[in-house]
Amino acid sequence: MQTWFGKKASAGSPPPSPRKDRSGIRVGIPKVLNVWSTSQFWVGFLRDLGIESENIVFSSDTSEEQGREFGKGRGTVDCCYPVKSISGHYGELIFGQKKKINIILSPMIYSLPSFMRGHVSETLACTRVMAGPENIKAGFMKESDVFADNGIKYASPFLSMAEPDVVPKQMYDCLKDVLDVDYAEIEHAVEAGYRELRAFNKRMRDASREIMAWCARENKPCVLVLGRPYHMDPGIGHEIESDLQAHGYPIVWLQYLPIDDDLLNWIFGEEVQAKKIRSPLDISDVWTSSNSSNTNEILWGAKFAARFPWITCVLRLSSYECGMDQPTYTPTQKIVEAAGTLFFKFGDLDSTKPAGSIRIRIETIVHYLAKYSDKIIQKKLALLPADCPLLAEKEKTLVAAASNQP
Amino acid sequence: MATAVQHYTSYKARPFTREQRDTTTILFGGLTWKHERLVQGVFNNLNYKAKPLPNITRADLDAGKELIDVGACCPTIFTTGSLVNFLKTEVAENGKQKTIDDYVFLTAGACGPCRFGQYHESYEMALDGMGLKDFRLFLLAQDQLDQAPEKGGGLEINMPLSLGIVWAILCGDMLTDMEYQTRPYEVNPGDTDRVMKESADYLFEVFQKRPIHGKKWGLLAWHFLSSYFADALRVVKKKFDAIEVDRLQVKPKIKITGEFWLQTHEGDGNYNIKHWLEQEGSEVMPPPVAVWLGYLLHTPIWRLQKKAVVDRKVKFKMAMVRGMERLYVGTYNRFRKALGNVPYALPDQEELKKLASPFFHYELRGGEGHMLVGKALHAHLHKQANMTCELSPYSCMPNTMSQGAMANVQGRYPELLYAPIEIKGDAEVHALSRCQMILTEAKKRAQSEFVEAMARTGMTIEKAREIEAKRPELKKATYRIPHLGYASTAANYVMHLAGAKAAAV
Repeated sequence: MQTWFGKKASAGSPPPSPRKDRSGIRVGIPKVLNVWSTSQFWVGFLRDLGIESENIVFSSDTSEEQGREFGKGRGTVDCCYPVKSISGHYGELIFGQKKKINIILSPMIYSLPSFMRGHVSETLACTRVMAGPENIKAGFMKESDVFADNGIKYASPFLSMAEPDVVPKQMYDCLKDVLDVDYAEIEHAVEAGYRELRAFNKRMRDASREIMAWCARENKPCVLVLGRPYHMDPGIGHEIESDLQAHGYPIVWLQYLPIDDDLLNWIFGEEVQAKKIRSPLDISDVWTSSNSSNTNEILWGAKFAARFPWITCVLRLSSYECGMDQPTYTPTQKIVEAAGTLFFKFGDLDSTKPAGSIRIRIETIVHYLAKYSDKIIQKKLALLPADCPLLAEKEKTLVAAASNQP
Repeated sequence: MATAVQHYTSYKARPFTREQRDTTTILFGGLTWKHERLVQGVFNNLNYKAKPLPNITRADLDAGKELIDVGACCPTIFTTGSLVNFLKTEVAENGKQKTIDDYVFLTAGACGPCRFGQYHESYEMALDGMGLKDFRLFLLAQDQLDQAPEKGGGLEINMPLSLGIVWAILCGDMLTDMEYQTRPYEVNPGDTDRVMKESADYLFEVFQKRPIHGKKWGLLAWHFLSSYFADALRVVKKKFDAIEVDRLQVKPKIKITGEFWLQTHEGDGNYNIKHWLEQEGSEVMPPPVAVWLGYLLHTPIWRLQKKAVVDRKVKFKMAMVRGMERLYVGTYNRFRKALGNVPYALPDQEELKKLASPFFHYELRGGEGHMLVGKALHAHLHKQANMTCELSPYSCMPNTMSQGAMANVQGRYPELLYAPIEIKGDAEVHALSRCQMILTEAKKRAQSEFVEAMARTGMTIEKAREIEAKRPELKKATYRIPHLGYASTAANYVMHLAGAKAAAV
């Protein structure tokens, strides 16, 4: 889904000149946690500073082998697997590269540029996610400084990515010496990073809309994955959704659901008018403490799935010992199931893929999808206005007729 | 269009009206019995009926587990279970409707993304599970002293209430510090507990009779300037004066840190570990709640510093926050002074930040943030304690992160005695035996300090007893032993008796 390399220099205002030659610097980024939802920012940011695309190195997908080979003995505490697995990513960037890395860039992302910002109290990262780099770093420094021993500079900027106006200073404080940059360069690069991220998110949302429009036109069901961004990592989410996709069901991820006004007004417009919610992205009707960015998005995704007719099934993914997910288990299930949408949770995901049990559950899900999808679509369609923006005029008439049936 | 589906909505509390105040009791909890007793006085002072929940028991863990989603951290399970068990008893005795009508529960919120800010979700789920969805639950945001009138006006979270609670917490901390510095050395067992009970009851009355001068700024000024509370603490000092102590008993000093609820709690929720440490021959340095409040007060300064490039009013805002902070610390010190400066001073937040910085970023939020690292180093480098015992709830999100960073600290400071104890609530033997292993080393260190102090000063037990006989005030619980370079009280006491200067740290 994501591309893990830079494509081309970002558009926008020209970089401050003269720019120092950084074409020979190789930057390694552990592909973990919220890097899964901000990777394109990093690509845009680094390229704008003159780092070559091929020198922006993301670690591989998480795997047990990676952990065994590169992370063994580096763990300092028992916690959720998405954080624990970072040791393997650090180790791979230090010891597993044919061409040596010069800098490891492992951001401590404090807040996220979520599409829900302004509609919720806060868009903060999970406490473990934001502090993960400090925890993992300790495992590489407790006996000696493994980074320095291998000639690598370790940089871990603390970033409030939800507040773009403070990010340049936060970046500059951390990277001024590491990359030998001035403030103007950083400011320009941050801008380029956000631009790249926005463009990528737009492309992904458009792609999801296309899938959903196809489902609407063909009256076919699709499946929504409710998980955190890192569940896209095959080693964390275990590609459960791919197993379901192999049965012919299109998959969409909540992170890239379309948020176009026409669609959101169709789904949530009546509730906004009735003042049950303040806006289509408001979740105060289902969740009081809307501080955590990914939790907020999960709850909103659940609301979306509960109402959008062609999402007939929700796959909930959750990692072992996820403290952010824990209080949401029951609310999300209740939200999704209120209008009959199918809900299946894969919880306590850890390093090992339980392939056998996943296969059995996928067969069960496929059975239910085949049996109930049509009824679910009809039931949810009947709850919404007839003018679905995803349908051409001709289809709209057909749907209107269907929704008037008893 | 069909309208049959009722989409899910979360819990919304029924109004608690002003008219219901006289017949409705506000339930609260989460602190020590001392703090809660004084907070109860604050509620009564404002004409609320209020009652702390019974102290946590092991049975609360089972009750909590039954009703909330699997995987919760132990403070969530314990506190939910505590509410559940209280309500079960009330329902059994007085019926469901009367319980719903007669009580509301007030709980703290905020703390960003940590589960602490989401405890109420668990409470709500438990209420639903018990068939008590109409029971009223309200959130008190800990970073806002003055909030909009809560639904119905029955409970007004305003300055008189918030200031009262903060001052009750500060006085509760004073009592707690006195208690833990006295009990290990008391000559007549039971004296400290008796005086503590008397003192808490006395301060309860003091808070209950607190005069209300003004509504907002006038009231704030009165709290900072009045000698009302300091005078009350002087009365408490007189009560402690009567307790005779023997500080020549060599005991290691153990600093307690950890997740907020777990470190503050005294009871089954943390295996009663403070009491257990005392039984094992230690002196405990309890964590004041005031440090947490000081952290909340100080963090805006760091946030404002970051905003300096985009906010022109930053300097003014920072001056305001610093001014409030000075008044806060000044008030704390005034209370300490009223008790002969026996309670410990608050650590400087900037120093905690500086100490923790190489290991844990100070802006990482959730739980105690960088303070766990900072406090462990502070206690070690200032020789305040022989050992730090960090209480970490099973699956606590922020705590596990700073605990992991402590591996780096220990690599840099191998002599730092650090006991991270994971608390699940039902694995007491395992946790305490782990603590005991490190405590053995702490005891050895306290003994070495004592021997060293005796050797340096030429002091003997006999000589010390002679000095004590001539100066009976030395044996009072309120006599302050200056910190003379050792962690343990006995070693500092020997140095003090000998009139020695601070040992080289």
